[in-house]
Amino acid sequence: MALTGRAGLLALAGTLVVGLLLPSGWAVLGLLAALLALVVTDVLLAGPVRHLLLTRAGDTSVRLGESATVTLTVGNPARRRVRGSLRDAWPPSAGAAATRHPLDVPAGEWRRVQTVLRPTRRGDRPAHRVTVRSLGPLGIAARQGSHEVPWRVRVLPPFHSRRHLPSKLARLRQLDGRSAVMVRGQGSEFDSLRQYVGGDDVRSIDWRATARAAEVMVRTWRPERDRRILLVLDTGRTSAARVGDAPRLDAAMDAALLLAALAARAGDQVALLAYDRRVRARVEGESATTLLPALVQAMAPLEATLVETDYSGMVATILSRAGHRSLVVLLSALDPAPVEEGLLPVLAPLVRRHQLLLATVGDPGVAVLAAGRGHAEAVYDAAAAARAGLDRRRVGERLERHGVQIVDAPPERLPPALADRYLALKAAGRL
Amino acid sequence: MSATTPAALPTARAATTADRTAAQLWRTLRMPVAVLLLVLLGGLLLAAVGGGRPDGYLDPRAPGPAGSRAVAEILRDQGVVVDLVRTSATMSARARPGDTMLVALPDLLSDSQVRAVGDSGADLVLAGPAAPERFAPALVAAGPTDSGVRAPGCPLPAARRAGPADAGGRSYSVDTGTQEQTRDLGVVQCYAHDGLASLVQLRSARGALVTAVGNPAVLSNQRLAEEGNAALALGMLGRSPHLVWYLPSADDVPARDQRSLYDLLPDGVVWGLVQLCVAVLLLALWRARRLGPVVTEPLPVVVHATETVQGRARLYRRSGARDKAAAALRAASLQRLVPALGLQRRSEPATVADAVSARTTRTSADVLVLLYGAAPADDAALVGLADDLDELEREVRRP
Repeated sequence: MALTGRAGLLALAGTLVVGLLLPSGWAVLGLLAALLALVVTDVLLAGPVRHLLLTRAGDTSVRLGESATVTLTVGNPARRRVRGSLRDAWPPSAGAAATRHPLDVPAGEWRRVQTVLRPTRRGDRPAHRVTVRSLGPLGIAARQGSHEVPWRVRVLPPFHSRRHLPSKLARLRQLDGRSAVMVRGQGSEFDSLRQYVGGDDVRSIDWRATARAAEVMVRTWRPERDRRILLVLDTGRTSAARVGDAPRLDAAMDAALLLAALAARAGDQVALLAYDRRVRARVEGESATTLLPALVQAMAPLEATLVETDYSGMVATILSRAGHRSLVVLLSALDPAPVEEGLLPVLAPLVRRHQLLLATVGDPGVAVLAAGRGHAEAVYDAAAAARAGLDRRRVGERLERHGVQIVDAPPERLPPALADRYLALKAAGRL
Repeated sequence: MSATTPAALPTARAATTADRTAAQLWRTLRMPVAVLLLVLLGGLLLAAVGGGRPDGYLDPRAPGPAGSRAVAEILRDQGVVVDLVRTSATMSARARPGDTMLVALPDLLSDSQVRAVGDSGADLVLAGPAAPERFAPALVAAGPTDSGVRAPGCPLPAARRAGPADAGGRSYSVDTGTQEQTRDLGVVQCYAHDGLASLVQLRSARGALVTAVGNPAVLSNQRLAEEGNAALALGMLGRSPHLVWYLPSADDVPARDQRSLYDLLPDGVVWGLVQLCVAVLLLALWRARRLGPVVTEPLPVVVHATETVQGRARLYRRSGARDKAAAALRAASLQRLVPALGLQRRSEPATVADAVSARTTRTSADVLVLLYGAAPADDAALVGLADDLDELEREVRRP
């Protein structure tokens, strides 16, 4: 039950009656009783809320930064009209434009209510409750009740680094030999024989085939295909730290998505593993067309947890996969303590079987601190930042001695840097 | 560490604050403040100009225009004991039958005080009463008349001696149709104008004289010297050797006559307020009822990646670890300088110093002190060291 402003206004008008015409306690009681009777009548005559039929339809996933529309259908099976207001409640980060809607459903009819969501954060956004307030015919009081109408909008990672994809694909095509001259070398495999045309490199003439075919034949080459790439997202505490405005994990996801899109075009098999102390998400065996949707769906609900990553468990999980040699891209932080105490001791079996690439999100804020000069506080900050930089470099060098590739870049530069390193590895045939 | 452009980061706080500056606040508030001041000033002005009776009204100690010190002094000179009383208790103790009592503010007295005044048995002089029937039932107010100087026109000895005097103001008449019809009231009506007398004397049921003065200005310092005012005042107040000057004070209200504000309010206001409370309660219920519960948000933890670096900087600073700070700064500089000089990473200090001095104007010894010297002695030296290292790097990089 709920009152409206009219009940208060009526009582306020009663003040004049009591004050000027009937100054007594009985008048107050009488007015109260009359008002109560009106309220009870109004509530009894209001359309019932409990029996409303509510269903939802609309978008179930949306890229961060875009808007989704969820439609709520309200059916009124009762014999009385339901008139009033409706609130479709969502968590604040779902970014619902307007959650309160006027509602007027005649008996036996349906009405649609649309809520436009513009989420402000990645992850799953569940709808809360739908609350309906049904006014009585006098508009003095209303029935109010809530319905649970479950719905979930999955907010996908924004994949800002998409804009880098065309240039990286152009580089990939160069490797592929589709648009540029192709020479045999590391990282390429025999593709086919075809007739010599003017301009082909004479070094690629296959004399044995030429002898058989009575025409000059050349061999063509293409980059190695069907290599395996495993993207490993570290969702431990180091990924929770914020660089700029977003956690490291978000920047890591962006880089992973660009790399996955590129590798899928290059014909490589891409898999994803998210791990802190247990497997948080896993994507395997997707074809090139279904890979990206599967990846963003898997990444969307991931949040960094405030636990120390269990690197030995992570390595064991990676090794338990099929034994093919893979490029393992670990997206993690290059903080000295976790790497030296967690990763380095368990690194040996991993680098023996796979090529490990550590992609880490650098913090531009540290560079700003390192440039601080002028007064004691700034210089101490600069010294601490310099020490942090030296530590990172030392740890990076220790990893590189184990044959680990390191990509260290600030959030906005990490995706292209990682893609470039992948292309370089591919060109060098080290996948 | 990767190189970044510091300019891309927020270095100063942008002007996005929603707080208002003092100037904006003043611009918003100056009109309301001005209106408030105006209202306050206006109220004070009105209170000063038109507020109530002037100070010392009919006070025998007050020398001001409205006071009555002059007549009191004259009376004393003539041997009359002027006895100022401020409460009804003292009044009852002092006044005896045969005394004269001036009731300066007769309308302020409560019914019980009026009874006490009558019970004292003294002859009463009432200064401009609005309801004289409270003191003598036969004496009634007859409405206001114009103030002015008039001839007495009556046989009252004091008035006859005084001749023309200030009159007017309130006027009185005697209601002879009451129960005291049969008794001789000894009514004297003086200074009449259009048949309305502004000074009336009669004898009460107890035999005491009751004189109502419609224009109390005759007793005031300002008007005492005019016309026959002084003679009239002395004649009225100086009839007996003991004059009780009853000027009730503000708190001169007997306990049983005191009433609370609540008693004075009309019923309509009281019950209207009760009904208003009901209305406010209903309005509060209206506003308090939410359309569904508040939805909570599971918020992510915010840990800034630079926090560990800043924490370490504060530790350096608090413990005065200039040696560690200087070593870090030098190591970072060397790490950038050594590849630029084309040297091995683990070169000897002397080799590095020689290579640097070959590129710059500095001597090898200076460079050695700068890059490998002792820790700075104080914070200022540390700041200087950081600047020197920067300068050295710039010199080396300069072609």
